[in-house]
Amino acid sequence: MNAVSTGEQVAFWILGSLAVIGALGMVLARNAVHSALWLVVTMLNLGFFYVINSAPFLGFVQIIVYTGAIMMLFLFVLMLVGRDASDSLIETLRGQRIAAIVLGIGFAALIGTGLARALGSTFTVGLDKANANGNVEGLASLLFTKYVFAFEVTSALLITAAVGAMILAHVEKAKEDKRDQVTRMKERFRPGNYPGPKPGPGIYANTMSVAAPARLPDGNGAERSISPILPVRELSQAEAAPKGTEK
Amino acid sequence: MEQLKLPPIDYGALLPMLILFGAACLGVLVEVVVPRRARNAVQLSLALLSVVASLVAVVLERGTRTITIGGAVAVDGPTLFLQGSILVLGGVSLMLIGERSIERGGVFVSQAAVTAGSQKDAQQAGGQPGATEVYPLSVFALGGMLLFVAANDLLTMFVALEVFSLPLYLLCALARRRRLLSQEAALKYFLLGSYASAFFLFGVAFIYGFAGGIQLSVVHEAVANPQRSQVLLYVGLGMVAIGLLFKAALAPFHVWTPDVYQGAPTPVTAFMAACTKVAAFGALLRVLYVAFEGVRWDFQPVLGGIAVLTMFVGAVLAVTQTDLKRLLAYSSIANAGYLMVGVLALNDEGLSSTMFYLVAYGFSVLAAFAIISLVRDPDGEATHLSKWAGIGRKSPLLAGIFTFILLAFAGIPLTSGFTSKFAVFGAAVEGGQTWLVIFGVITSMLLAFPYLRVVVLMWLSEPGESTPAVSIPGFLTSAVLGLGVLVTVALGVVPAPLIDLTREAAQFVR
Amino acid sequence: MTSFVTAATAVDPTLETFENDIWWIVLIKLVGVFALLLLLTLFTINYERKVVARMAVRPGPNQVGPKGWLQSLTDGLKLPFKEEIIPKTADKVVYFIAPVISATTAFTAFSVMPFGGVVNMFGHQTALQLTDVPVSVLVLLACSSMSVYGVVLAGWASGSTYPLLGGLRSSAQMISYEVAMGLSIVAVFMTAGTMSTSQIVAAQASGDPVQLFGFEVTAPGWYAVQLLPSFIIYMIAAVGETNRAPFDLPEAESELVGGFHTEYSSFKFALFFLAEYINMITVSAFCTTLFLGGWRAPAPITTFWEGANSGYWPLLWFFGKVLILLFGFIWLRATLPRMRYDQFMRFGWKVLIPVSLVWILFLAFFKVARSGAISDTTRWVTTGVVAVLVLAIAWGWPSPKKPKQLSIEEELHQRPPGSFPVPPMDLQVPPSPRVRRAVAERDPVSKEV
Repeated sequence: MNAVSTGEQVAFWILGSLAVIGALGMVLARNAVHSALWLVVTMLNLGFFYVINSAPFLGFVQIIVYTGAIMMLFLFVLMLVGRDASDSLIETLRGQRIAAIVLGIGFAALIGTGLARALGSTFTVGLDKANANGNVEGLASLLFTKYVFAFEVTSALLITAAVGAMILAHVEKAKEDKRDQVTRMKERFRPGNYPGPKPGPGIYANTMSVAAPARLPDGNGAERSISPILPVRELSQAEAAPKGTEK
Repeated sequence: MEQLKLPPIDYGALLPMLILFGAACLGVLVEVVVPRRARNAVQLSLALLSVVASLVAVVLERGTRTITIGGAVAVDGPTLFLQGSILVLGGVSLMLIGERSIERGGVFVSQAAVTAGSQKDAQQAGGQPGATEVYPLSVFALGGMLLFVAANDLLTMFVALEVFSLPLYLLCALARRRRLLSQEAALKYFLLGSYASAFFLFGVAFIYGFAGGIQLSVVHEAVANPQRSQVLLYVGLGMVAIGLLFKAALAPFHVWTPDVYQGAPTPVTAFMAACTKVAAFGALLRVLYVAFEGVRWDFQPVLGGIAVLTMFVGAVLAVTQTDLKRLLAYSSIANAGYLMVGVLALNDEGLSSTMFYLVAYGFSVLAAFAIISLVRDPDGEATHLSKWAGIGRKSPLLAGIFTFILLAFAGIPLTSGFTSKFAVFGAAVEGGQTWLVIFGVITSMLLAFPYLRVVVLMWLSEPGESTPAVSIPGFLTSAVLGLGVLVTVALGVVPAPLIDLTREAAQFVR
Repeated sequence: MTSFVTAATAVDPTLETFENDIWWIVLIKLVGVFALLLLLTLFTINYERKVVARMAVRPGPNQVGPKGWLQSLTDGLKLPFKEEIIPKTADKVVYFIAPVISATTAFTAFSVMPFGGVVNMFGHQTALQLTDVPVSVLVLLACSSMSVYGVVLAGWASGSTYPLLGGLRSSAQMISYEVAMGLSIVAVFMTAGTMSTSQIVAAQASGDPVQLFGFEVTAPGWYAVQLLPSFIIYMIAAVGETNRAPFDLPEAESELVGGFHTEYSSFKFALFFLAEYINMITVSAFCTTLFLGGWRAPAPITTFWEGANSGYWPLLWFFGKVLILLFGFIWLRATLPRMRYDQFMRFGWKVLIPVSLVWILFLAFFKVARSGAISDTTRWVTTGVVAVLVLAIAWGWPSPKKPKQLSIEEELHQRPPGSFPVPPMDLQVPPSPRVRRAVAERDPVSKEV
């Protein structure tokens, strides 16, 4: 399988274009989630590339691990951050956008032309030999002979990553901070605390502001309905005016 | 399907690394098993013990010259010397990391996940004992560094690069004081570092395309007898070099250094300044000397230009700094430039002098950062230059030591700074790189200015209201200080034993 | 259950079989699989409703078609013609793509499922399987990992809170259980020595002779028996992976209305519905392939009937096994209450994954020991050491300290003064006069007394 077949060429131009479009979309998309999705397109196409290039194991692992797991975690974070959170477009470094575009295109052109010149007349060699015992077996034999130390040392990397995630993300709760239902109930029924529910906004309320106390039936305000962190203040005319329903 | 056979493994040669990785894993388990009160002591002794054990293993293996475990690891003179120096410097840094008496709970935050500036953060800043995960992380980093200087193929080198970088990124984020700055430093380091790693990996792919293999010996053969277009070689070499130059902090890949040095907890900064430099230059030496020696005429001028740029950037920008940690960061950038001069000599003399320089500089810089960790005001370390005004009057001993270290950096005779610069420049002249030496001497004179400015500030100004107090160093910091000064003097006065050692070691196996 | 299923007439496909397929044969198989999945979905919906109904002692659907078996067909026809409502805050493009991803990946997964051996199709020898690659099990896993996108994007693109929460829950759940599922499959890889579905079926064809105390015993070929822990873990993970009861937290209607597809209606909802049922069929079929001998007839049948595995007969065994597994799914749904989310995640990460890891380790040791790579003494010593260690850990494991149980009087005594009033301990509640009257009215005998 030294020459490139027509089918492979067709697949290359389709998948390659898609991969590049995905990469561009990832850079240009305004919305962070869209950006991530474009990246998924690129990664998927890379996976297909590997499969076409007689590396099916690598291709599917790319899809399972990168697209399936890593990008998904990435999406998680983006979604939890919120859909409306868009970056501020004020540039802190003047002209960086232009510089980045020029440098990026220049770098791509450099690598592209260099590769084209270097590999224009090269044929694949050794592919059949590498896959002689099957693709998976070939990979396994490399991993467990030539690169066994790198393979084993990678576990140190994984342990570090796990420890790091724990350090940076896990807050250990002190024993006194752990409040189960029993302690909460005990607190609720302790003398001096009113165990019933706090008054709601009240059907007698005439404003929607959370800073205004709910009204009790006798017209007085229920102070307990206001969060203690809110400063007490007079409402403006507009705020105090009865709100109609939206038309 | 034929049975797979493990390649022959020389466990003795791998023992230093295996000890460290094992001890680090054990350290992670200690976090689970040992109660919180005893954890710091247990972790510190475990880490120090493992470093000592590993050092013993290195010394026992001193005669080994072999390539083992399927060609992935080369254990030869430079490997063993650099591993030894990384272990010694790492052990000393671990003592700084383990110092808990200067500040209540140590310099590391107790729970990094607590939002900086929140009420809970204020509570834990008060004196909750710092996180003890820093010890296993440091030991992992040390293990990665040992592998980095021994890696005989580019893939193993990449894995080692990541293994020692990842713990460093994490350690940077764990400062107790000025946490936002520390987290920012970690993020910057992480982003730029992964960018550099990506370059390295991309370059490895190119070199694989060129040579059909990534073992350094295979690359060497392909360079001598190219089968493919040389474009692949040059692009690949360039990208691999970018990855390595980033770790070694050479201009223009140095921009992370001042921010990270300033933001990271001071012991971690010291660790990075001493050990990462050794590891990065060790790998650079191996790649350039073993794999790419055949194209030396092509890369020498480019890397020479980078060395000159680095020396100038470091020296000129050091003049403008007002923060002591940033000043030392720029000084370390300039020193990377001098080291590069030694590397570019591309002869045995260059190899041995670079290794000598690395050890000498490592000890001085450890002592310098140890002193910085001692000068404190209520906000933590007082690193602003203005605060150091008149500190010589307040505590002459400390200011004296610091002056000595700064003079060593400046390259005054009878200090290690002088002998090491002399060795490096001598090697470069011998290697036909006299133009680099000229620039080196010029920048050395430039660089002496900021050091002398600090010295003048310390001794000739009156101490003011805001001049910070100098903490009494604990046993560990005192030991570090003593060792740093002692080695700086010793290598300045009687450098011969170490130089002989480096000369004996200066032969790569291929 | 020893199986000697080595019928001479069963022809196992190899990877070359698929390379030689002509394009129109591939087309026929493609359309066949597609149609089959649609039909199976329609059937499964009815099957589920009827089984659940029987378990709840009610008739279930019985109006449309013979005995109500066309109910799902009419429902399915109606669904696309319902009004399509797209929320104003929805992200239109992603909202549209999400169900497409779900359905596409669900269909794609079936392309590597072996329904049978090599048959004669219009004069051509071809396997009853759309295609096979050396890593076809990974194709399935890739499809299931991509299908998470459908769910999570649907939740996000709806622009509403419940779907977002449902989507996040469901994707967290699917990713977590995918890990356990993948680990359970590793044992199959190790035993079969291949990742291709057709060859895994072939590997289960014959038993495995073992020397046990001097006798030669043939272990059954099915991996469900050989690798029982893996099988159990796979089954649990499969239920979690498909978001089915009792793990149907993403669509917990009491908390999240309908989960990720709350805002979906009409045809798009139909696609999700379709995808859910196809996924259920896929994991069942996958389980059949990996653990239950695939399309081969169960053990005693081939002893009486040599040709049970030849021609198109395997379809019968295959779908028979799949339907039994589907019954298991439905049974679970009809009988078990939903789990709490944190318990569920803890179960996945802290029980299933460690257990499968230990099991793989054990299996690897077992295989190495059996292959003769280590000497007998080493084997026994290692086994002994491990056993002693496990026992020591189990013995030394700290048991949680129980707090001292206080009697009610003591607890009352501990309350601070001025606490909320509680009724006295010796309170005698007098029986309600109304009850007494009612009892008296119902019981005429006592009235006379």
